[in-house]
Amino acid sequence: MTDLLITPEDDAFRKQIRDFAARELDPDTRAKVARGAPLSREDFLGWHLSLHAVGWVAPSWPTEHGGPGWTARQRMIADEEFFRQHCPPMPGFGLKMIGPILIRFGSADQQARFLPRILSGEDWWCQGFSEPGAGSDLASLRTRATRIDGGWIVSGSKTWTTYAQYANWIFCLVRTDPQVKKQQGISIMLIDMATPGVSRRPIRLMDGTEEVNEIFLDDVFVPDALVVGEVNMGWTYAKALLEHERLGIGGVGRSKHLLERVRGMARAAGLDDDHETRSRLAALEIDIIAVEATTLRLLAAAEAGRPLGAETSLLKIRGTEIQQALTELALDIAGQSALPAAESGCLEPPFENVAYQFLNWRKLSIYGGSNEIQRSILAAQVLGL
Amino acid sequence: MTMQIRFEMPSDEALLLKDMAERFVADHYSLAQRSRMLAAPATELPAHWPRMADLGWLGAALPEACGGLGLSPQQVLPLIEVLGAGLVLEPVTPATLQCATVIARLLPEDRASDVLAPILAGQQIEVLVAGPDGMEPAVSARPVPGGWELSGTVRLVPGGAAAAAFWVAVDIDGAAVLRVPAAEAEVTAYRLLDGQAAASVCFDGVLCPPDACWTGARAALDAGAEMALFGALAETSGLVAALLRATLDHVKLREQFGRPIGRFQTVQHRLADMYICREEVRSMVQLAAEAMAGEASDKRRRLLSAAKVKTGDCARAVVRDAIQFHGGMGMTDELAVGHMVKRLLVLGQAGGTRAGHLTAFSAAS
Ligand SMILES: Cc1cc2nc3c(=O)[nH]c(=O)nc-3n(C[C@H](O)[C@H](O)[C@H](O)COP(=O)(O)OP(=O)(O)OC[C@H]3O[C@@H](n4cnc5c(N)ncnc54)[C@H](O)[C@@H]3O)c2cc1C
Repeated sequence: MTDLLITPEDDAFRKQIRDFAARELDPDTRAKVARGAPLSREDFLGWHLSLHAVGWVAPSWPTEHGGPGWTARQRMIADEEFFRQHCPPMPGFGLKMIGPILIRFGSADQQARFLPRILSGEDWWCQGFSEPGAGSDLASLRTRATRIDGGWIVSGSKTWTTYAQYANWIFCLVRTDPQVKKQQGISIMLIDMATPGVSRRPIRLMDGTEEVNEIFLDDVFVPDALVVGEVNMGWTYAKALLEHERLGIGGVGRSKHLLERVRGMARAAGLDDDHETRSRLAALEIDIIAVEATTLRLLAAAEAGRPLGAETSLLKIRGTEIQQALTELALDIAGQSALPAAESGCLEPPFENVAYQFLNWRKLSIYGGSNEIQRSILAAQVLGL
Repeated sequence: MTMQIRFEMPSDEALLLKDMAERFVADHYSLAQRSRMLAAPATELPAHWPRMADLGWLGAALPEACGGLGLSPQQVLPLIEVLGAGLVLEPVTPATLQCATVIARLLPEDRASDVLAPILAGQQIEVLVAGPDGMEPAVSARPVPGGWELSGTVRLVPGGAAAAAFWVAVDIDGAAVLRVPAAEAEVTAYRLLDGQAAASVCFDGVLCPPDACWTGARAALDAGAEMALFGALAETSGLVAALLRATLDHVKLREQFGRPIGRFQTVQHRLADMYICREEVRSMVQLAAEAMAGEASDKRRRLLSAAKVKTGDCARAVVRDAIQFHGGMGMTDELAVGHMVKRLLVLGQAGGTRAGHLTAFSAAS
């Protein structure tokens, strides 16, 4: 595997990360990640606690809030090295979404109350943005908050809420002013999942997992203290959030991890000398290099003081296309061995999760702004069309 | 390569079968009805097997002399397309297109009719046990006093979960087939990820008497494998058309940014690409059907490989965009889309790899 991030200065850092992961990661979790199996709450939380113990759980947070003080380059190295050591990719809802929002826009009370609990793993957050009627057109969301004394009464429903079954808190976009232009009447509210009126229905995905949910909000009381920043500024805050960690969205570490797995599958299937398989693997490795090079080029520009803009959408588009292409190559290599379902006891390693991953990773081009929406962003905001 | 292809229209009989199948699917295969059937043990005879026998579907492609309807592949194509798109759980392709074809080709006519009678009457299922290509043996046979002793395990026998007997491809100085009652094998039943019942079948020193052994089976096994591949292609064709229909309906109804998403040009162009795929799949599957009726086996094989490759590529492209344009809904188990996607996934993985068919195609030119 080609590595563009290797410089002598980075070597010591990389080694530190690698040794830590080799020492601390639970072997069962490592084995699951290595074979692409679905992960449980315990898998995520166990690794979260290991990282927290050494102060590495929130790489992008400023040191005064508990971040490790890594540079952007070091964060990329760590991400890649953690993948290489088969560490679980941590859900970002607390660490990469609401945490950074609170750091930038939250009150001192909110920061003091929530940030330490995100770091410690005591709180698990989920993201309540999408609604049945508001997906790509998120700003058309209809969950409504009505003003009462001391707070708001919230009603509506959220959907596709990832891992809500593990969460005790949800951050929601809600409409606080229906009279103004749709982007201008939205606020971010923090809701305790145990509040009366909050309920959940799991959604079964075609891959057989239940990683997403519907959340119903029925006259849920939210005190003023749990509105983030100013009322009606939610859209602006959410957009700022989407710009956070933009350089990571190419998912280079994730792609390399899968590429290596698929190489292993080719060997297991006796196809490592097959011309077509080899050239498809090589072409995908080159695609990954191109994403990595683009990421590093944008990083260099950012380090030289040029702010990152919408062009980072290209990383998400290409990164997810590569990952999906890898799941398809894995299917082609596995042939019939990909078919028996998990319960059958007839699975053949290393092909056991190939079908699951193909089905599950179709989400990569849908969520977080679909690839069509990302292309519209490039066309409008970068190309001026 | 020359071959006269006429793209024959379906006969009245074929259209009648298709209409009946459409009505059957509408009456018996709603998602709710299907998920109730999926809750039944895989080892049970699937619910509608006897009804399918009454409707004549189980013998549709078999010679009249063996109790079938004697229809050509072109004429059974519309029926199989509908059953494919309807996501039926009965193992029509493995039991009636593949295994029954092998039986009809291999056994003398009167014996074949006797053996096939309970299958065509919908009383039982019998399937072939062979390697992934459906032709090569995956179980070994050793001569012993009193017959043959079978050993070996085949992990994926489509339709094998509820089978009463297995027709096991073996090598006895050339291709041979042995019939083994299911009770004598170790059968681990399970459902594939698309819900179809399958089994892992283990023969651990099973003794098989000489009167249940037929040698000289090469041609029969090849014919069975071709029918199995054709059946999978026909189901794929039905499913690709159904996925396009479902996606088209969805993009007309689903509104974002104040209009149906089907009004956005990107969506329109990609739907147009899905339509192109559906048309190409139809053409290739009809071509394969006509080739099956022809005599020249090398041409037939070559066109079947071509159809498998093109159909697989098109199906995958259609799967990608069907999910994509359904958005989150397309990822769930709650719409037919997800179930069609899983069925297409299974059909695409079976019947030989893309690389294998490309090689076969180029070698035969
Ligand atoms: C597995 C999974 C997990 C998720 N987790 C979360 C979560 O934790 N929290 C959360 O809030 N949300 C989550 N989402 C929701 C996700 O963000 C939405 O699915 C996404 O925004 C798309 O919305 P939609 O599903 O309603 O599709 P739609 O908006 O209906 O879009 C359907 C299709 O139409 C296309 N389309 C729409 N508008 C246009 C246009 N103008 N031009 C071209 N094409 C267009 C889209 O690209 C898409 O392909 C998750 C989704 C999935 C699948």
